[in-house]
Amino acid sequence: MGTAVKPETEGKQRLSDWRMAVKSATYVIATLAMLAPCGLENAHAQIRAKADVSCQPAEKLQYDCIIKLANARTSEPLSGLTLTVGADMPSMPAAHNMRPVKATEEQDKGTYRARIALEMYGDWALRLELSGTVRDRVVKLLRFESDRVGEATPAPGRHRH
Amino acid sequence: MDDYLIGVLSNIGVISFVALSAYLLLLTGEISFGQQAFFAIGAYAAGIATALWGWSLAAALVWGAAVSGGAALLVGVPTLRLHGLYFAIATLAFAEMVRILFELFRYQISIDGELIGPNGTDGFRNIRYIFDHNIDAFQFLLLIYSLLAAAMLGLLLLERSRLGVIFRMIGQDETLAELQGIPVARRKVLAAGIAGTLAGIGGGLYAHLTTYVEPRIFDIMLGVHSLAYGLIGGLGTAFGPLLGVLIDIGLLESIRALAGYRMIIFGGLVALLLIVRPRGLLDEMVVHKIGRGWRRVSLWARRSSLKPRGNSA
Repeated sequence: MGTAVKPETEGKQRLSDWRMAVKSATYVIATLAMLAPCGLENAHAQIRAKADVSCQPAEKLQYDCIIKLANARTSEPLSGLTLTVGADMPSMPAAHNMRPVKATEEQDKGTYRARIALEMYGDWALRLELSGTVRDRVVKLLRFESDRVGEATPAPGRHRH
Repeated sequence: MDDYLIGVLSNIGVISFVALSAYLLLLTGEISFGQQAFFAIGAYAAGIATALWGWSLAAALVWGAAVSGGAALLVGVPTLRLHGLYFAIATLAFAEMVRILFELFRYQISIDGELIGPNGTDGFRNIRYIFDHNIDAFQFLLLIYSLLAAAMLGLLLLERSRLGVIFRMIGQDETLAELQGIPVARRKVLAAGIAGTLAGIGGGLYAHLTTYVEPRIFDIMLGVHSLAYGLIGGLGTAFGPLLGVLIDIGLLESIRALAGYRMIIFGGLVALLLIVRPRGLLDEMVVHKIGRGWRRVSLWARRSSLKPRGNSA
């Protein structure tokens, strides 16, 4: 690199550097400002869902999950929804994730069943995507092992305080 | 568009921010294992702003970017006087410190009878802005790529500017740059601040995309990957880290047969590329050749359009 910067031009150069930094920041802020209207829509009083998930090992790395969906405020079962179940590994965001599968509704109100196939054992965040009359997402953290599925706990060596 | 495809594309877009952040520091010759910390700060700050304070998404993203950029500037002042291995270890230590702080961080507010907010190791759930405001997955994907395009434009302009040349100059030979009268420490702190801001925007988007964050998302794996994206994709242009993200999340993700072996393949790919192409696929030489080829093609096109044509009438 043959760019020589003379000390006497340093003031000008500093000014141009800051101009560039301000320009870049302006682009980002301008884009955000243009997109701001999507944040100014009125928040809808959406129904919030809660889920109770229990999974059992079926085949190798495959699990049968029973999902009970209910209204978080009234605890009324939520039925007639389209439910898809996806999963991410929290320890590697965006890398290990499972193609979402559609859950089928059982006869019991608000009860759904899905079979999920994971890449490996360990802690997974199950993403329950609800659509239809209620649009919501519920995330449940579970530990999937070869013979059982339980609550995910912090990794060994990390303490709860 | 298929929901799964939207999900993968959204992930590529969001992770690109942290990859660009690590790339900017690589340009100045510093290897940072700590960019995930600014991604985390951006995610928590923006998530708190919408979920607890009721801010709009745009304001929350600006806030997340500002907090993480400010944190990067603060961290940059003491650490950027370190070099090489010492800097890498300092950034790693900082990132772990931030992660552990988030494991201890509790700030919950009761909203509609439900406690919402960061809750230590249990993470921060219910960042429900996109659901409360009826923003569908495709609209959010557009938001991610609009911001990524703005960030890329900023970076490409930066690379063509005097400041971009100075960043590369510092990366090539810091002592020589100092001898030329460049205030190296100040420029590196500026680079760290811009890098932190980029990671913060990515973090804010990530929190709203997934609606859930927890400290272990931001561990060393994310830092190593963000660094590797630049090293795989190339350090010749800001498109390099995006190519790295595309190869990892796009290509390897699409080959489901690889499943659990993906990380092994990814690690092998990094090792191989560091031997064969130490500055990545799109290194300075390749970028120069592409630029020269493009100039030739445009010159040829201009000349052929200026040639007198026979009158067919």
